[in-house]
Amino acid sequence: MAHRKFSLAQLIIILILCTSALFMLVPILNIFAQSFSDPGLVNKLQGYDILPKGFSLINYKVILSNDIVWRSISNSIFITVVGVTFNILLTSSTAYVLTRHGLVGKKVIMYFLIIVMIFEPGIVQEYFVMKHIGLMDNLWAMVIYKSVNVYYLIILMRFFEDVPESLIEAATIDGAGHMSILFKIMIPLSKIPLLTVGMFYGVFRWNEFFKSSVYLSSKKNTVLQVLLRQFVINSDSQVLVGASNLFANNAIAKLDNGSLKAATIVIAMVPILMIYPVILKHYTSGVLSGGVKE
Amino acid sequence: METAHSGKIQKKLKSMKKDRILYLILLPTLIYFAIFNVWPIFEMKLAFFDYRIKGDDIYVGLKYFKQLFSTPTFIQVLNNTLIISTMKIILYFPLPVIFALMINEVRLGPGRKAIQIISYLPHFLSWVVIASVWFQILSPTGGIINHIVALFGGQPIDFLTSKSAIRWVLFASETWRSIGWDSIIFFAAIMNIDASLYEAADIDGASRFQKTLAITLPALITPMITVLILNVGFFMNAGLDQVLNFTNAAVNSKIDIIDTFVYRIGLQNSQYSFATAANLFKGVVGTILIVGTHLTSKKLTGKGAW
Repeated sequence: MAHRKFSLAQLIIILILCTSALFMLVPILNIFAQSFSDPGLVNKLQGYDILPKGFSLINYKVILSNDIVWRSISNSIFITVVGVTFNILLTSSTAYVLTRHGLVGKKVIMYFLIIVMIFEPGIVQEYFVMKHIGLMDNLWAMVIYKSVNVYYLIILMRFFEDVPESLIEAATIDGAGHMSILFKIMIPLSKIPLLTVGMFYGVFRWNEFFKSSVYLSSKKNTVLQVLLRQFVINSDSQVLVGASNLFANNAIAKLDNGSLKAATIVIAMVPILMIYPVILKHYTSGVLSGGVKE
Repeated sequence: METAHSGKIQKKLKSMKKDRILYLILLPTLIYFAIFNVWPIFEMKLAFFDYRIKGDDIYVGLKYFKQLFSTPTFIQVLNNTLIISTMKIILYFPLPVIFALMINEVRLGPGRKAIQIISYLPHFLSWVVIASVWFQILSPTGGIINHIVALFGGQPIDFLTSKSAIRWVLFASETWRSIGWDSIIFFAAIMNIDASLYEAADIDGASRFQKTLAITLPALITPMITVLILNVGFFMNAGLDQVLNFTNAAVNSKIDIIDTFVYRIGLQNSQYSFATAANLFKGVVGTILIVGTHLTSKKLTGKGAW
């Protein structure tokens, strides 16, 4: 490649891009910095700072000493883990059935699924249904909620269609049933698309807050996002620190409310940041190439 | 003829019997959709009935729809939904395309990758987290934006309680969240362009800008149409999660949308029939939009929404 000088236009473009990237990254790092700052120095922290002023774990200690926080974290983990297992089982088994050749009624079922995808159930009606089947204020409501995403189902079907028919025939001759073909051939051969779809389901479930706030009304069933919302958006700090904690511990009274909020935001972000590299690694090879392929 | 027909049915029945395990595997999914999607659709008949806790609901025809369109709040809500959607779908639309084009201009591999990695991240954060981050960004005391305002000699502005600014806050935070992620499809299309086209243009002495206009942009037309059409299908949504997290008493009248209205009237005030009427109106218009755009897309690009 020939050596080329940067033109003015290119310089401007690079400047714009770097500014936007910084505008996305700095506020997030700023939250981290605030959460780890020393309570005595945090008032010196400005919005553009990305390093903590001093260093302290007191915000995390206070927050994690509150039972409600642990409760909400474990509820969120339960809904995410069990929910994604549900998602993967239902989505992959459905994709398997709908990619079998000569299945009578396949077209009707596909149309049914697409209609279902288009017409969202009403907020009030979904609430009534949850009430009727007795899942109000039950974590299982949020596990079952959005069990199959038709869009992900269609993506998965594209990959299942690519599994060589000869493999399935050979297994059938060996006496394998549908379940063992699904679990021993289809799922192992579609690990990466399944992982990708699973991560998208997982992100959705971890981040979900509106329906959780509607269906999980009692304190013991609160999930992390709802708690975070109460604390950060509604500025209800008692929720987080706990009334008894607030008065019992003198040190807490001196703590900065903003820093406590920041620590909670970080806790809610951590699982996302943990799987983000995996998403980046597989998304380009998984869903993206699947979408371009057709 | 008769026997051929019944023979076909018999063959189908036989094939269904052979595949009975497949249908059994499918059953949980079908039951799920029947309960959580089909049942609620039938329950939407409540829009035409007066809700009664005991006994049968009373049929009232279009009463609640008439009430809906004579309620000033609903007109305001409808108006807000359309304005916010126009901003977030039409006005926002060129931004990811421009972003992808700009990233393509960065010739330094690691730099490009770093920008991509950073810009996709906000897409994975919840609206609760994003709103929290934006409260910091816009804070009148020490927030980044007000630092810039102060730099130009201005007084700190409280954007979140400003009636004239709040919709732009929604627009900006939506852009912050989505511009990187939404640019992927356009960037992939740019990567798929045949390199020989650029080489031929080089020989002809075309400038960089000319190449972008003549080669890169045309390759983006198809994904642009697809994306625009897909998003128009969501015009009636306008972003419930986002609004719920950004709203406050000072600005709610500017960003109250159909979904927040239905939630408030239906689940918080228990006016079930009235809320259902609003929801049904939204659902019908939304469905017409989605099906309409799907058919348009199929005609224009040969690719539908599904």
